Amino acid sequence: MSDLDRQIERLKNCEPLKESEVKALCLKAMEILVEESNVQRVDAPVTICGDIHGQFYDMKELFKVGGDCPKTNYLFLGDFVDRGFYSVETFLLLLALKVRYPDRITLIRGNHESRQITQVYGFYDECLRKYGSVNVWRYCTDIFDYLSLSALIENKIFSVHGGLSPNINTLDQIRTIDRKQEVPHDGAMCDLLWSDPEDIVDGWGLSPRGAGFLFGGSVVTSFNHTNNIDYICRAHQLVMEGFKWMFNNQIVTVWSAPNYCYRCGNVAAILELDENLNKQFQVFKAAPQDSRGAPAKKPPPDYFL
Amino acid sequence: MDWEADEKEVKAAGGELLPHGRKGLRIHGWEIESSNRSCLTSLNLQSWEEKLETSHLPEMIFGDSLLVLKHMSSGIKVHFNAFDALVGWKNEPLPPVEVPAAAQWKFRSKPFEQIILDYDYTFTTPYSGSETVETRGGIDVEGNDHLKWDDCEEQINVAALTSKEPILFYDEVILYEDELADNGVSLLTVKVRVMPSYWFLLLRFWLRVDGVLMRLRDTRVVCNFRENTRPVILRDVSWRETTFKALASKGYPSDSASYNDPNIIGQRLPIVLHKTQKLKVPDSL
Repeated sequence: MSDLDRQIERLKNCEPLKESEVKALCLKAMEILVEESNVQRVDAPVTICGDIHGQFYDMKELFKVGGDCPKTNYLFLGDFVDRGFYSVETFLLLLALKVRYPDRITLIRGNHESRQITQVYGFYDECLRKYGSVNVWRYCTDIFDYLSLSALIENKIFSVHGGLSPNINTLDQIRTIDRKQEVPHDGAMCDLLWSDPEDIVDGWGLSPRGAGFLFGGSVVTSFNHTNNIDYICRAHQLVMEGFKWMFNNQIVTVWSAPNYCYRCGNVAAILELDENLNKQFQVFKAAPQDSRGAPAKKPPPDYFL
Repeated sequence: MDWEADEKEVKAAGGELLPHGRKGLRIHGWEIESSNRSCLTSLNLQSWEEKLETSHLPEMIFGDSLLVLKHMSSGIKVHFNAFDALVGWKNEPLPPVEVPAAAQWKFRSKPFEQIILDYDYTFTTPYSGSETVETRGGIDVEGNDHLKWDDCEEQINVAALTSKEPILFYDEVILYEDELADNGVSLLTVKVRVMPSYWFLLLRFWLRVDGVLMRLRDTRVVCNFRENTRPVILRDVSWRETTFKALASKGYPSDSASYNDPNIIGQRLPIVLHKTQKLKVPDSL
């Protein structure tokens, strides 16, 4: 058994790696990821997964339902970290699988794979708590810059974390982005990771926050037609039922964090495509409490005022 | 893991836990019950959108979660739910809050046609709770004619709330929550604790728009147990608000990560509204 295989076994038990091991793993991952295209080609059969958000034990449920990597070929649409309790173990397991089986797992970038966002929503604090320094956070966020921005399955299904951009009409325009940077606050790369489909607009909408695009059905129709694709598969938004089609089956949202934030009570889904691109959604629930390692302690009385 | 009531302590204080499957207790003429349920499903969310005449609701609405405090002999019911809170949001149409990136976005080339949405995505609500009288038939009569909150001089005795009597019942119920598409947090929760001599609750709306502003709207309600008299219910409404800019000018940190816990940083936000009110109970009850 190689060192890497041993590390994968440890990570599968939710044991984090040593700082030096993380550093070495990230260096190897960088060599692989740097070669990937902004529109990474993926062969079918493949199983597509949405947001995970550090819910390690629920990701283990996902692998139970979808099968182990490398037997199953996986595409993860980003947002591995933040919000949940185990962002470190979750991301490192996926990254170790990527290094071990580069052709059997594809990881693309979500809006949480960013220095700025992880400092607010959990991953930074978790690294600091678990390692006593922010070095692991640095190694991981440096790797985030190398993650691909999208994937194209058999030239027919376009996959991205957020959605479309008014600056992008063709896949070739995505291919020309220089992605090796922190996620910018605006522009095409930002939109791919942040934008949302929206029923009530037909063309483009601007969020009331003054930043962030919403796109309607006609935008999707035109993009799919121009690029000769069947539909878009994206993640980024909680769906209580695990997946949701919009605009006459031209775009689907897949959400893979069951009982999101350990309180929403939602189910999660993954999308399995066979070699002929036939679709099968697998819906699954959160891991049972007793499989989550140490039981939660009874909280002390809260004399709030 | 949930907080668990100690049945012996509840009994010693003259109360009883609600039967199996329900969370709460009966004590000194009150029935206090909470429930924490899942977020609304897409189908239910759609029907709420129709009822509230909006196409934008928080992404996590715990629409079936409740806290109800019922005075059994009079039928007076103080309760907390997401729907009434969102009616409050609809009726307080605040202008949208622009995030820091919006400044840059103004210089972006615009798509050919673009609609600018302008609803209050922060879901800020003036909600302070709901009150009804439940008649013997079990039908609720809505507040106005029967129950009314009157401004009063009396203040909540905070010192009395700090005594370390045993907590007979405790729960926190999230009513709704939104991540503002990863631009902060909007959260409406209510916490309750029932003590041997009173109940006390805190309804809190907490908003942080990263890099822009924070709002904290607290409603504290207290009722001391008294035998054979109509209940006296007092509430304290306190709204706080400030911008990150104002905090920075006072020398406080201005990164969003420093403002995760309103319990810790609440005091840094200046009060913009404060009132104390008493529930006026009609003589007929």
